[in-house]
Amino acid sequence: MKSTKFTPYTKLSKTETDRKWWEIGDFFRRNSLWLLMYCTGCCAIELPPAMTSAYDMERLGMGPMATPRQADILLVSGYLSLKTLRRLVYTYEQMSEPKYVVALGSCPINGGIYHDSFAVINQLNQYIPVDVYVAGCMPNTEAVMNGFVDLIGLIKSKKANGWKEYHKNNDWFKENQITALGKVVIDDEFHQ
Amino acid sequence: MMNSISNVEFLNELVNQICKVQKYENISQYQVAYEVDKRDVHRLLSTLKSHGWKQLSYLSAVDWIEENQFEVVYIVFNWDKPVQIQIRCRIDRENPSMDSILPIFPGAKYYEREAHEFFGIAFPGNPDYKKQLILEMWDDIPPLRKDFDPSAYSDRKFTKRDYPTDYAVTSKDNQRLVKREERKRRATALRGGNKQ
Repeated sequence: MKSTKFTPYTKLSKTETDRKWWEIGDFFRRNSLWLLMYCTGCCAIELPPAMTSAYDMERLGMGPMATPRQADILLVSGYLSLKTLRRLVYTYEQMSEPKYVVALGSCPINGGIYHDSFAVINQLNQYIPVDVYVAGCMPNTEAVMNGFVDLIGLIKSKKANGWKEYHKNNDWFKENQITALGKVVIDDEFHQ
Repeated sequence: MMNSISNVEFLNELVNQICKVQKYENISQYQVAYEVDKRDVHRLLSTLKSHGWKQLSYLSAVDWIEENQFEVVYIVFNWDKPVQIQIRCRIDRENPSMDSILPIFPGAKYYEREAHEFFGIAFPGNPDYKKQLILEMWDDIPPLRKDFDPSAYSDRKFTKRDYPTDYAVTSKDNQRLVKREERKRRATALRGGNKQ
């Protein structure tokens, strides 16, 4: 009788090999996510309890990171004015791939209480792709933690594809950015 | 040593010597306001500076649209005497222009740029007043004027999220339970991450 202990070796195709490596990569990535906290608004106040011993983000393997190039998650906490959006686009484009965006609060969803302001944008996903929204004004810390767990689940089920979308629909995103900002890269006396 | 009441008296005397005060307001023991003519502001400010009010705390404007005027407000601060002074002057709202106080207070440069950006007041004498400071690439009338409509600007410039279903419960007896169930179903359908 033929042994069933070992499966016979078959040579994998390139796509299959790539998929396996991505799965391995995603496994390690989702268990050690580094956050770039772009604390734009008041939702940033939910981060101290999420980071410290009350909810302890570290047990999900998440930690703060200082520079965009080393971070996996761009955390947008709160409203985005036009000036901040410009810096956020710079930051998002500097991050290395794969990159994920988590948006806290109701302001990135529909403008929140700033929906009729002349300086604050209404929908963040018109300008950069957003993977996880955490609704609330402001969201509870439990909701914030749940958002992070959701993101981990999305990476596992290969649905956190915002960065791929940014490549695919780059023209559309750029067009929206230019409609709102006029010009993404600006040069005046403060940008020399 | 002077107390604050005699400080105010001293000030009244000083200001009335220099120029004609159109309106005087004693806001509190530590704060007084003088409304003077546009042409007297520089003289008044430089005199006050030589008497110890050497710090310009703030410069801004108020839009009185019904009177068709802008009010420019200068607040000066003294480190020895506990009185803050507001110097107010009215300028015309059509082609508003106010001579720069840059020779008296060099730090007013950025305040004047801000006032120009938000109210459209010109400050001849300040070489940079037209440069952008806070708003980047602004493309409308100055936003703090009363005739600027921020809501219309926002509607025009930023895409709004449209909600196909209205979940607001307007009357008490219109099937709240059905709506709640619908909301719950939609929330479950939208949930990301692990699905049990």
